[in-house]
This record gives sequence, C-alpha cells and structure tokens, in this order.
Amino acid sequence: MEMILNTMRMVDHDQAREHSLGDEKSLEEHLPIGILNPKDFKKLNLTRSLHLTVSNKNGQIIVGIKEDEGVPQGTILMPVSIWANQLTSFEKNEIIYKNITVNVEASRDPITSFNQIINSIKSN
Amino acid sequence: MKRIPCTGCSLLCDDIIVRSDGLFIDEVIGACLKGKERFDQLSSSNRILSPMIKKNGVLEKCSWEDALEKTSEIIKSSSKPLLYGFSNVSCEAQLKGIELAKVVDGFIDSNSSICQGKVLNIAKNTGITLTTITEIINKADLIVLWGANAAESIPRLLNKILFSRGKFRMTGREIRTLIIIDPVKVASFNVMGVRDIALQIQPNKDLELIRVLKEECCVADSISSEGVAGLDRDDLKRLILNLSEAENGVIFIGQGVLRPQSESNLVGELLELVQMINTKQEKGRISLIMMGGHFNMAGFDHVALSTCGKNGGLQFDKHQLIDTDDNIVSKIDNEDFGCSIIVGTDPISHLPLSLSQKLATKPIIVVDNKKSATTSIADIVLPSAITGIEVPGTAYRLDQVPIELKTILNPPSNIPSDEELLTKIIDKINKS
Repeated sequence: MEMILNTMRMVDHDQAREHSLGDEKSLEEHLPIGILNPKDFKKLNLTRSLHLTVSNKNGQIIVGIKEDEGVPQGTILMPVSIWANQLTSFEKNEIIYKNITVNVEASRDPITSFNQIINSIKSN
Repeated sequence: MKRIPCTGCSLLCDDIIVRSDGLFIDEVIGACLKGKERFDQLSSSNRILSPMIKKNGVLEKCSWEDALEKTSEIIKSSSKPLLYGFSNVSCEAQLKGIELAKVVDGFIDSNSSICQGKVLNIAKNTGITLTTITEIINKADLIVLWGANAAESIPRLLNKILFSRGKFRMTGREIRTLIIIDPVKVASFNVMGVRDIALQIQPNKDLELIRVLKEECCVADSISSEGVAGLDRDDLKRLILNLSEAENGVIFIGQGVLRPQSESNLVGELLELVQMINTKQEKGRISLIMMGGHFNMAGFDHVALSTCGKNGGLQFDKHQLIDTDDNIVSKIDNEDFGCSIIVGTDPISHLPLSLSQKLATKPIIVVDNKKSATTSIADIVLPSAITGIEVPGTAYRLDQVPIELKTILNPPSNIPSDEELLTKIIDKINKS
C-alpha cells in the first residue's frame, strides 16, 4: 500500500538517548518502528506478530509496528534514525525528512539489524 | 547542591539542582527525560574514555600521542577536509572549529544548515521578528506550535511558556491561547484546554493554509465554506482572529515546516504572513522562535556570523574565507572532500543512506563523548568531556540568548574539552 512517510523525533524513540545509554539491542528495540493509524493497520491485514516492509526508490527496511489514532490515515511515522534514513533523500542540497512516498507491506522477515545497515554503508 | 543550566536540549533550563560530592552526581532535581539522559551519559557504558584508531577494520584503544599523530597525518594528506557538527559543543569549541577549518583550508558547517539555519537564510530576504523565552513567560497571550512537537522534542518548553505566570500580567495559563498546527496528533495536543485550538491539518497542506490566511489578512471573509486543508472554516476564522488580535503572540517553527525550497518556499511564505499580520496589528505583534533541538545549534550561527559574516557553510582557501553556496549536503554529494572531522554529532544517524555511503568512502575522524553509528564506521575516535557538566563554556539558547554553562565534576581520565582537543589538533598540524 502506498503511504506518506514522516520522520520525527519522539521522546520514547530517541536515537541520541539509545546511542548514549543503550547498546545495539536497545537501538533495535526502540528505533526501527513504523507508527500507523489503526484503520491502516486493518487495511494491511496486520497482526502484532508481523513486521512491516517499508520501501521506496531509495531503499528498503523491515521495521516493527505500533498503532496510534493520532496518526492520519495514509501516513506512516518513523523516528529519525539510521533505519528511517534508508528511505529519506535530498533535493537541491536539502534533506527531505517529511512527506516521502513509500510502499508499505506486511512482512514475516526479521527487523533489519543495526549491523546490516552499518555493513551496507561500509561496503559501498 | 548547585544550580546549573542543563544541556539536554536547546532550552538550556537554568533551574536544575544537582547534588554532588565532586566525584559523582548523587541527585538531579528538576530535569526532564532529556536532561536526565544527559547526566546519565556520565557513567554510561557507551561513554568513550580512550582515543581509538581503526586497525584491520576494528577500532582499538591507543595513546593520545598516536591518535593525534594519526589525526594530523590524515588531515594533512587530505586536500579538502570537511568539518561538520558543532551543535553539541560550546561556542568556544565552535570558534576553534572555525580556526581549524581556516588552518587546513577546509569546509565547516553545523547541523543548523539542515535545520533552523534554513529559516535564517530565508529571513535574509524577508526579515524576521524574534522574541525571547522571558518575554513569552512575562507577556505572551498566544502560543502557536507549527509543525513543532514541543512536548517531546523540548519537554519543559510548554511547562515554562504556557503554564508559568508572568511578571507583568496577573494572569497565566488562563489568558494564554495555545494553537497547534500539525498533521499528526502529537503529544503536545494533550495539554490543550477549552479555549485552545487544535488544527490537525492534512499532510503537506501547510502552504495552502498560509496562502488562505494571507488572503484573509487582505480581504476579510475570503475563506470558503468548505474550509481548507481539512480544517473547518470556523476554526480558521478563530485562528486568524487570534493571530491578528494577540498582544504578544509567538509562533514556534518546528522541523515540520522546514520543507525543501525546491518543493515550496513554506518558511518564506510563513515569514511574509507574520509580516502582514504585524503590519495590520494595532495593539501587538507576532514573533517567531525556531525550535532547534541540539543544545548549542543557535550558537554556531552566532559564532560563524560574528567571525565570518556568514551563519554556516564556511569554505576556506589559502587560509581565507571564500564565497560558496555549498552546504554539508552538496559537499558530500559531490564528494568534494578528502576526509571528515565530525564533532559532537552523528551524521550517519541523520543523513540519507546515499550521503552516509559517500561520507564513509573517505577517512572519518570523530570527536564525541559517546559511541554512535558514526563512531562505528570512523577511522579515529577522540573522546571529549561533556560540556555543561565536566567543562564550562557558552551556549546560545533557542531564543538566541547566551547562557553560561557550568562545571560540576572533572572529566574522567583527564579527557580534554572539545575546545582543548581542537586546539591540540591545530597545534599538532602547525608543528608537523
């Protein structure tokens, strides 16, 4: 399903805190997460045990799911992090953090790990 | 017990009480989650306590002499060093960063260039009416959060500006109207009262709203009966009434408003709207505050402006500042750098993948007090003391007011401050 991705900073999903105080495990618990409206959750036939594959022309990641009625339908929220950065882009020297078109699907694959992303950056 | 300013975010709360014996911090009173996290960094397992150099793909501890020697070697063998970050360090360290860029003919930019610095650049054409937190506490009767989730990004902001009781008015929250314009029902919506206005705008429709408000400023009753951007006509009428009749109104601009200029000049049109309202205003004015998150993001703009006449994107050649339109994004995208010196920030966690990959192709030197995604791909990691706890300095609050930061403890293992460390690098380069 095509959706709009907005990245934002959230106190419970804060990369600075996880980097300062946590380890890779806590990063992977708190940051790779997509927050959806419950109606979109139903449309995508999701269950709590599933994950989300979020992709666009810039990249693809697998993240966990959270429901929130405050999120408008058709929008997926993600905390600013190394995971959301796989989908962000830039145009004319400015980074685009909001209103990014992405494709969202249910997935049974495991959440993309921190090391997978770091290795993809290193190996380029 | 000591009262100190907190460097957890750009609000730099100056009412945090810390109890310490000089060796450890026993108690922190009054800090929010972000502030507490800053103090917790002191003893965190992710704290960097020793310099490290990458050997066979793995970072290994080394002596300061070896680390500085290798740092100097990398910088001197690189034709175009790139310096980036500087929003989580003191103004004194920012000044040293600019000096280093000058010595090595490098390019220096701060996080501000992809955040609030964009507003300052646009304001060069339109002008901007700013205000201070003290002015808001004492006099504000209207507070607008536009694309700004204050409750989560600057947790004590609403506590200070919305619920406080001002010196020059005998009233507080009861005369303050809060308006939130955001496509997401963020945590800040939870503090709204009956007189407040919650405007959950449709995603990416802010420009439509601003244009309708500008039109309404010129011709009354120009709003169509269907409303605009998913907002009700009556709510829009209340919004324009509040904006045009506030005695002291303030709009907090968040990341939600900072769209790429190529997409739309949203900030420019918002600044024009504020000017139009202020021209029409008979009894008051609307001001703006930019909600940069890092504790001294505003500082780099001030330091760069006062020393070089430009708030960011400083390119040096033959030890002189030269004119350039480049910013951190264009420099990395064009791979126009030989190595990078990252100070107090984590670009791998906030730049798009394609830029991170390009940054990783050249040697990376990181100056920071904690591990991050960037340290995990760095070639050299140099630890620094925590500013505002272990070393003093100056920082600019989000309302552009300078605050003196204090020190409570000595840094462990004689770790230098960012300023001292950058001075050592400059000395090493000058001597070798």
